[in-house]
Amino acid sequence: MTEVEAEGRSSRRLAFLPRIPHLGLIVVLLALTAIFTARSPGFVSAFNLNAMGRSLAVDIVVGFSQMVVLAIGGMNLSVGAIGVCTVMFAGYAMQIFGLPVWVAFPLAIVLGAALGAVNGIAIVRSGVNAFIVTLATASIYFGAMLVITKAQPYNALPREVGLLGQLRIFGFISPALVVAIVTGAALAIFYRYAVGGREALAVGANPRAADMSGIRVNRVVVQAHALSGVLAAIAGLMVLVRAGAAMPAAAGDDWLLPSFLGPVIGGVALAGGAVSVLGTALGAALVTIIRSGLLVLDIGSFWLQLFLGLFLLAAVILQRSGDLRRWRLR
Amino acid sequence: MKTARRLFASEWMGLALIALLGAIALSALNGSFLTEFNVYVLLRSGCVTLLVAFAQMTVLATGQMNLSVGALGGLVAVLFGGMIEVLGIPLPVALVVALAIGAAGGWINGVLTTRTGISGFVITLATASIFTGINYGLTRAVPFYRMPPELVAFGDTHWGFVPALMLPLLVVAPLLALFFHRVPTGRRLLAIGGNPVAAALSGISADRMIVIAHVLSGTLVGTAALLSVAQLGSAQPLIGSDWLLLSFAAPIVGGTALTGGSVSILGATFAVLVIALIQNGMVLAKVDPYWVQFLLGALILLTVGLNRWRAVRLGGGA
Repeated sequence: MTEVEAEGRSSRRLAFLPRIPHLGLIVVLLALTAIFTARSPGFVSAFNLNAMGRSLAVDIVVGFSQMVVLAIGGMNLSVGAIGVCTVMFAGYAMQIFGLPVWVAFPLAIVLGAALGAVNGIAIVRSGVNAFIVTLATASIYFGAMLVITKAQPYNALPREVGLLGQLRIFGFISPALVVAIVTGAALAIFYRYAVGGREALAVGANPRAADMSGIRVNRVVVQAHALSGVLAAIAGLMVLVRAGAAMPAAAGDDWLLPSFLGPVIGGVALAGGAVSVLGTALGAALVTIIRSGLLVLDIGSFWLQLFLGLFLLAAVILQRSGDLRRWRLR
Repeated sequence: MKTARRLFASEWMGLALIALLGAIALSALNGSFLTEFNVYVLLRSGCVTLLVAFAQMTVLATGQMNLSVGALGGLVAVLFGGMIEVLGIPLPVALVVALAIGAAGGWINGVLTTRTGISGFVITLATASIFTGINYGLTRAVPFYRMPPELVAFGDTHWGFVPALMLPLLVVAPLLALFFHRVPTGRRLLAIGGNPVAAALSGISADRMIVIAHVLSGTLVGTAALLSVAQLGSAQPLIGSDWLLLSFAAPIVGGTALTGGSVSILGATFAVLVIALIQNGMVLAKVDPYWVQFLLGALILLTVGLNRWRAVRLGGGA
């Protein structure tokens, strides 16, 4: 829905250009890349591209994790908490129980789905909005993780974890990025063609109408939250592989802003009913490029939060003014 | 039966009972609970939390929310510290400017929310990041340690079990109650939260009320930040980093409706007392401090679940 609107908007203003969705965002991304490269050529070195690819993969999947609940008109403040829980669970399973990677990782993803489903069930059963429920469960999940692990990292993981982390495709592409792209493609197909995806969007657009058309709204809400948990787990495992260890500081609060930045900058409405997989990925790319650019320019990570906040604000205000202009044209 | 039901229906009474029972249980279980020093520590720890809860409550009253309470608190704290330590501004001036910065931060939140029509959630998520960014960018996460001795002394003073830090609250809480119950602007604020359409039809400007609520919220955040500096004896950039959950926990547990239109100052006060008792009890019982976070989240879920159950029960009975 948003993609169609965005195309209509750009075609009206810039009729001579071919219709490219998210043109503005792509221009900003290219401009930032050009600026950072001009100031510091190391920005596009194979080393930095690889580092950026790995953090881009995490940013994209974290954004997806938020996007799938925004789609139904909800939100999930516990994305980071679920991510950390799955990281620590995987670490525990491998180091304490001695489970191999190919068992521990799927189990961690199942845990993510379960924690997400708990969010969904609590929201549906209590009738309280997703904000409060996931604010509370984030605290519960994070607290439980700290109690169980005593905030100790697990760094004696199987050798395969380290090998996974060193894997490169064509010398600089991290496999995590491939996972993110495949996940994105799957989500795009899900929301465009699958019954579950269409139902989720219908619930987000108008829950009452969806209910009257025979969609089991509560089930869709629980499913969306479980999916959000799965995606948070995938992002968590990417961080685990990158670090080569399971650390309690893997995600947590740090994921809250990026999780919203990607979808919101990419044009996903907070009100629900619309998703944009490409937009979310591009929004995540903006987060990654700003973070990496500030590092390369030696501005330091202390100012990062300021820039992320300013970009979020600028993006929502620009989108808003675009909408207003469209209203006046009618 | 009727009085029982009325007690059952008023949130703060139930909380006061829970707090009382909790205090009795704790003093029975642990001899060091009722010592003068422990009660002082308990009350002192609740002061900042209560102001933060009030800051969130004023915005919740209009049906909005403020995710930037902690970020703004941290910014006010370090700017105050910078004014004292780097610029050498005298304490009274710095105090007033710090409160003005809090109010200005709130004003920015309010104006951005009303002018753009974007949800307060996204706006305050963005401004929270901006405030934190300025805080860390300026301080590089290094605290200001050389605070005025009179401020630090104020943070440590206590008469028996009553901490001096409670004094600002004894002023703020009644004023806030007066504002919401007797002052026209306060009533209008609640009207906007209760029923925006009806309020707008009766000539109340929703935008103006939302801006006022945010300015008030920012000022309360500023006060909380200054009390934090006094309590800690230094201006820490990390001040406020754990306020978000607390700011929602206390009003929600205290019976402030998330949908707007109602506030409960006594409710929030007793909720903070219950939270402080939980934290204090866990310290005395030498329980893993990590449990606090778990229990806070569980407390919120329990309350909203209980409210739901009560609404169904009372609604069905009437």
